[in-house]
Amino acid sequence: MQTSWRTAHRTICGAVSAPAKKAEELSSTSTESDMRELRKQKAADLRAAGKDPYAYSFSRTHFAADLHKQFEELPAGQAAETDPVSVAGRVRARRVLGKLAFISIEDDSGSIQLYVDKKALDGQEENAFKNMKVVLDMGDIVGATGGIRRTDKGELSVTANSLQILTKSLRPLPEKWHGLSDLEKRYRQRYVDMIVTEGVRDTLRARSTVCSAMRRLLESRGFLEVETPVLEATAGGADARPFVTYHNALSRSFTLRIATELHLKRMVVGGFERVFEIGRIFRNEGVSTRHNPEFTSVELYQAYADYHDMMNLTEELIEACSMAVLGTGDITYQEDSLSLKAPFRRATMHELVQEATGVDLDSFYGDVEAARGAAREAIQKLDLPVGEINDAPTLGHLLNACFEAAVEATLIQPTFVMDYPIEISPLAKKHRSRPGLVERFELFIAGVLLWYLQPQL
Amino acid sequence: MAVNGGALPAQWSEDLLDEQGQKLSKSEFKRRQKAEQKAKEQAEKKALQAAAAKEKQASGAQSSGPVLEGDEADADDLDPNLYYERRVKAVAPLRGDGGAAYPHKFQISARIPEFVAQYSSLEAGAQVDDVTVSLAGRIYGKRRQGKLIFYDLKAEGAKVQIMANSNNSGLSLDDFAHLHNGCKRGDIVGVTGFPGKSKMGELSVFATKFTVLSYCLHMLPKRRLENQETRYRQRYLDGIVNPFVQEIFATRSAIIDYVRRFLIDRHFLEVETPMMNMIPGGATAKPFITHHNDLDMQLYLRVAPELFLKMCVVGGLDRVFEIGRQFRNEGIDLTHNPEFTTCEFYQAYADYNDLMDMTEDMVSGLVKAVKGSFKVSYHANGPSEPPVEIDFTPPWPRIPMVEGLGKALGVSMPEDLETEEARQFLLQQCKERKVECGAPQTTARLLDKLVGEFLEEGCMNPTFICDHPKLMSPLAKWHRSKPGMTERFELFVNKREVANAYTELNDPVTQSERFAQQAKDKAQGDDEAMFVDEGFVTSLEYGLPPTAGWGMGMDRLTMLLTDTNNIKEVLLFPAMKPEDQNLHKTATSEQQQQGTNTTETDVANQLAACEAGINELQSDRERLQKLLASVQQGKPPDAVQSTARSSAVHSPPTAKAPSSSRPPLLPPGRGGTVDSSPEGRTVHLLALWRQKATEAAAADLANGFAPGVPRPNSARSVSLPRNASLPRNASLSMEYGR
Repeated sequence: MQTSWRTAHRTICGAVSAPAKKAEELSSTSTESDMRELRKQKAADLRAAGKDPYAYSFSRTHFAADLHKQFEELPAGQAAETDPVSVAGRVRARRVLGKLAFISIEDDSGSIQLYVDKKALDGQEENAFKNMKVVLDMGDIVGATGGIRRTDKGELSVTANSLQILTKSLRPLPEKWHGLSDLEKRYRQRYVDMIVTEGVRDTLRARSTVCSAMRRLLESRGFLEVETPVLEATAGGADARPFVTYHNALSRSFTLRIATELHLKRMVVGGFERVFEIGRIFRNEGVSTRHNPEFTSVELYQAYADYHDMMNLTEELIEACSMAVLGTGDITYQEDSLSLKAPFRRATMHELVQEATGVDLDSFYGDVEAARGAAREAIQKLDLPVGEINDAPTLGHLLNACFEAAVEATLIQPTFVMDYPIEISPLAKKHRSRPGLVERFELFIAGVLLWYLQPQL
Repeated sequence: MAVNGGALPAQWSEDLLDEQGQKLSKSEFKRRQKAEQKAKEQAEKKALQAAAAKEKQASGAQSSGPVLEGDEADADDLDPNLYYERRVKAVAPLRGDGGAAYPHKFQISARIPEFVAQYSSLEAGAQVDDVTVSLAGRIYGKRRQGKLIFYDLKAEGAKVQIMANSNNSGLSLDDFAHLHNGCKRGDIVGVTGFPGKSKMGELSVFATKFTVLSYCLHMLPKRRLENQETRYRQRYLDGIVNPFVQEIFATRSAIIDYVRRFLIDRHFLEVETPMMNMIPGGATAKPFITHHNDLDMQLYLRVAPELFLKMCVVGGLDRVFEIGRQFRNEGIDLTHNPEFTTCEFYQAYADYNDLMDMTEDMVSGLVKAVKGSFKVSYHANGPSEPPVEIDFTPPWPRIPMVEGLGKALGVSMPEDLETEEARQFLLQQCKERKVECGAPQTTARLLDKLVGEFLEEGCMNPTFICDHPKLMSPLAKWHRSKPGMTERFELFVNKREVANAYTELNDPVTQSERFAQQAKDKAQGDDEAMFVDEGFVTSLEYGLPPTAGWGMGMDRLTMLLTDTNNIKEVLLFPAMKPEDQNLHKTATSEQQQQGTNTTETDVANQLAACEAGINELQSDRERLQKLLASVQQGKPPDAVQSTARSSAVHSPPTAKAPSSSRPPLLPPGRGGTVDSSPEGRTVHLLALWRQKATEAAAADLANGFAPGVPRPNSARSVSLPRNASLPRNASLSMEYGR
């Protein structure tokens, strides 16, 4: 019954004059379980022939990238004089041309071609080439040992004298990975995504490099990395809904931390003058493209420092991360060229609003209505939506509304926006000299808020 | 030698006799020694105070000008609550807008350790008056000598003396006295002046400017803080008074840093895998359960990152590691905390032999780097016993488990362990050697007990016990040459497991079978059987290269290298029982959990905790009586409440154990009564804990906060609305902190 449905399905697809290749793709997905059975059988056959389809280990001598680097100068059509090398990786492509096979394998560092000659392989073991043709599938993990040679077409290759299946894969890799349409699957089976989507592993590597760069810089400044509890008697340090759990032996509830703040501050009280934590935070909120219930944050605390010191440190951290990942401070993000080199521009919210709209809100001496009128006029002249300007109850709120309407999206190059109105910053310490403002900054890059700081009360 | 009434000798010896002519025990000797010391100190103090009072009188007679105070006001016998109230009152006029209290920032020219390093070579009496330095730190001592005030300023383990002289201060005598009388032990100050050494050779800063940056409203303990309860609950106080605390955590950080660099240098990639999952796989342990509101979904906190890390290897990250928190819903004892830190790494194409070599390299290198030698002295039997020496010099012995056990027992072990005869054999061995094993007496558990008793006991120096039987290791690969065994090893140091590793099982069919067995066990009521993760089996079907995996508990390793034998010592904020439960249950329940590990010192500590609790209860009582009186006088209770410390809201958080619960201490309406319905109780308890945490945080701030502590630079802040509503703790900080 199922088979006939499948055949029918295939026929229909074919009948809609889909290209032959497309039909083949469809058939390959519809028979995935058959293929799985077939591959299982191959694994069993290998075992019967005394070969373990799941090897214990393999001594790799080189990563693919090492070889490409080492033999960069090797001309096409020549073999290198070298001791045998051993490489290992996943089979991503195979072509058999009579007594030759070209197998492309991929490891953590990149890919390399295996040049498999029937004579060489059979020299090690009878019928090895023929057996290889039968059992080796795309997606298998293999190890190969041999010399180095660049083919006439210029492809650096390992001329395999021995080729061994290290892990038999039972499921075929997707022929072509459908980026957006399979988003759900990409996230659920992240490992498949890593194998077939270019750049995923690089992104993960960049993330790790960013963390390392931050750690190194902070450690060089005398910061101590600490670990504070995830399980707390009660969640504090931010305004968010926590996860709740229950500890049996203590018969008490715990909440998962929503910030590392309170514990780190206690450490500063305890004489640890510079501390930081890179760690997981949990918030019981909706899931979206920019929110995950668990995420990683860096929090740092430095005694005797104020927000100017923190701006200096922030600049250095961002530049160091950029240098570590990309080797330069000049980057291209989406369509914008950005310079992440310190120092960044520093301007007060008030200055930025005046710059964009021409309106000096301070000149109204507290007359909210007059200020609102002038601001609205200026914003409308700029052809921008007035946003919350009409509803702002105080000059502070009005300043913020003007900032959001006219400035925020224009801050492409890194900019520290300083000195926020007190009405919208309940947590920050009051400005030491300007009434109505607080000592707080936010860093905008490419029109997006990236960094957030205010000294504590 | 009799100590009858006379002074104690400096050292205890066996021939000491007490008043009755009985032998004097070591602990009794110590107790007496302490009492004697205390009496001596008190006598000295009294003499000092008397002298000071005399002097005061004398100077008062001479002039009616300002009186400079030393630290007499900070005397031991002053009631801490009174002290606190006085300080709050003294600071009050300085607070608020335009007040001088809690400045935004103090610019230091050097950290104190840097300053000490630079100037410690000065000669006694030398002054470098053409250099201006600015230092900041906490005041640990204050002395007056005529018109001079001396402070001990400490930060980050280094100390410097501050000498303040009204002549250098640019202040009138009145202002000078006012400034310095307002500064107490525990305050955070910033000092500008020039470096020099006193005639006694003490490195000093001769202050030209002196600013109090943050006040310590509570009286600081004068001596080392020894009560473990207080130390762990108020770790910051521990950090302030106990100098070794900073060292422990600096070492912890260094250890983790070493491991991280070791792996990164070998091309491992650090990753972060989910801590909340729908299936808690990777280890046999009881998980924590939580609930995601928006997705209306039950989630587990991870018990191990193992399965995710292996999926990363499937995905082509050949060498990955994660250093992170794991969670297990299990009891708390000397080596277990509900959350702990592990390092796990996975290396494709390697096997467990490779990892044994790597473990030797890593751990011995680490020990050398942190301790300066392969040999470490460790108080394995508690601080009062002589230490043992642990030698990390590689290579370390590798003992196959079953053969090793056979040798240790002097018997030949059964060939096939999975038979009933084998089980009977092991049972017999246990009986003969009086090794207790509770039900169920499975082969795995019997083996585990025997190995614990006869193999692990010998592993003082680092030792690998390897090749565990299959029935003990569901995720390890079967041994390539020894039937019935797996390729696995555990590293033991000080008789405790430190690391665990194996050649990973990467055959999806076998893995699926072993999971099925675990599921069967689970269905039969074994709630520690591993959860089955179908998604993981699927990932194996895409092909996991031959891989070896490795895990190590960072906390236990830190304990070894900081010479501590309680995991709480190496955790900044260890999980604790709710405070009031402690008063009733500490001694009994901890004793039960610690089983045979309970030592004399533990009991003594628990006793001390109980006594502290009783004192606290008594002060609760007094405060509540005051509260009651003020309510009766018609004052709003909150006004009084705000000066009471957190203990004023103690109410038993468990209605479950009525025998141990205390009657509610607060009048109804402040949430003091215990709701007996489960939902109501949860809500009620949450409210209570929230309140307690709030007050605890206030207490922390009251202990003096260095100024200018910035808001965290958290990536998350990106998406926070800028006009987020006032968080709970903010109002509090305003109440106490400004």
